[in-house]
Amino acid sequence: MTAAPASSVQWPELLGNSLIALEPLEGTSGRLRFRAADAERVFRAVHDAGFHHLTLVGGIDWVDHREVIYTLWSDERKSYLFLSTDLPADHPSIATATKVWPSANWHEREAWEMVDIHFDGHPDLRHLLMPDGYEFHPLLRSFKLHEPEDLEVKVRHV
Amino acid sequence: MSEMWINMGPQHPMTHGLWNLRVRIDGELILDVDPEMGYLHRGIEKISEDRHYNEVVTLMDRTCYVAGMAWEHLYILGAEKALHITPPERAEYIRTMSEEFQRIASHIMWYAAFVQDLGLMSPFLYGMRDRDLLLDLFQSYTGARMTYEYMRVGGVRNDLPHGFSDRARKVLDWLMERFKEYDQLCMGSDIFRRRCDGLGVLSAQDCIDFGVTGPMLRSAGVARDLRKDRPYSVYGRVDFDVARATTADVTGRYLVRMEEMRQSVRILRQVLDWLDRNPGPVMAENLPRWLGAPYAPIGREGYLLKREYPKGVGFAAIEEPHGEAAVYVVNEGGEHPYRVKFRSPVYVNLSAARKYLVGYHVADIPPIMGSVDVCVGESDR
Repeated sequence: MTAAPASSVQWPELLGNSLIALEPLEGTSGRLRFRAADAERVFRAVHDAGFHHLTLVGGIDWVDHREVIYTLWSDERKSYLFLSTDLPADHPSIATATKVWPSANWHEREAWEMVDIHFDGHPDLRHLLMPDGYEFHPLLRSFKLHEPEDLEVKVRHV
Repeated sequence: MSEMWINMGPQHPMTHGLWNLRVRIDGELILDVDPEMGYLHRGIEKISEDRHYNEVVTLMDRTCYVAGMAWEHLYILGAEKALHITPPERAEYIRTMSEEFQRIASHIMWYAAFVQDLGLMSPFLYGMRDRDLLLDLFQSYTGARMTYEYMRVGGVRNDLPHGFSDRARKVLDWLMERFKEYDQLCMGSDIFRRRCDGLGVLSAQDCIDFGVTGPMLRSAGVARDLRKDRPYSVYGRVDFDVARATTADVTGRYLVRMEEMRQSVRILRQVLDWLDRNPGPVMAENLPRWLGAPYAPIGREGYLLKREYPKGVGFAAIEEPHGEAAVYVVNEGGEHPYRVKFRSPVYVNLSAARKYLVGYHVADIPPIMGSVDVCVGESDR
């Protein structure tokens, strides 16, 4: 038995004005852009629509703002759904998803230490991959590994 | 009794890599655990932002050093979607073949290490002996035994050598016989069963809540396998069954992995037959030099031939030997990915450690963690 594809879910009705847009994304049932302020409501609605498995939470630094992506999997529909929201760069903060998907715990800890996104209400927001007290956020674009000209000379000059 | 925290790791034989399991105990009883990760963090996501698309493949071999092909496959699928490139059919078959060989090699490595954790030395030697045959096969068509750097955006680096499929079939026949011996050694052993039955139970609901995937999830009775549910490459065109168990314990995970190896052999036989019958190109045509040209040295002038690709994001997910692995590649035009985000199955399986360790005894930790199949390289990235 195959359940209805995820695109048949009436997201606008379900999410109301929390939904900004539903964009197509190859190989998935789409990318749902939502308002960060309504995060908790959106998480709950998406979970109740059958997306019980959280695959990943990731942060992207777009310099002028940050983006958080959530990838979800539905066993009934056999498809992935993306959630995405933009946060201001000066105060990137969003409600935690751990209350809805407990597996978000480590993903959010990583996004916090790597891309400096604060998850409100997270039960245990401390360093995971980086040592305690590490002051940088390595996956920000402002964190440089090396200067390109050094690389030219040391590595790529074949 | 007084409670205390003990550190199992980062140099404990149970860890199979560098990580630290902090355990709060009361006597022998586990009250709480807190895995500490990051000892093997190499910043692969960050380094990827500074590399050309094909150069990231080098990092993928090091991400999970026992399942390099699976990670190469994952990344390449994501990168191709982000760059809007379609590989030729034969390349897809070769990738599928590589991933399945890698799955068997990874599961045999798991078997060898796991059974050794239980104190049985000889299965370890048998496992390593048989895995070597698979590494020989990898060496014969990639030139390397562990860090293959074989897949490319748009295809694979080179075609299979002459006589490869016959050699491969011989290895598969040999392995099918050996799997019977593995089973006799373990499932036929009363000591093994007493050590493993009913340990580390994680129910199906907990697996889903905590994102646990792979053999751990399938041992709890959930038949989720991305090769079946969302076929990528050519998995939609081969016959196989999803291995499953119902006990949700260490023995269940053992049975699932053993059955998965047999199913992989089944897939491989079909794929090898197809490869014998269908010669063809293994690289997409009309790629810019920095992406294509399989034999061209990656030289300086190669990089100067830039071609702007339309922007895009690529998402790919595969059933890696440890579970569901996913990648999100952001292409903002230009030669480097703007952002690469990986989902490591081991990372998530470990994050649920509290669920399957609390309530058992300290001596149960090596079998339970062994059954999780920890690869710290991929969990820390």
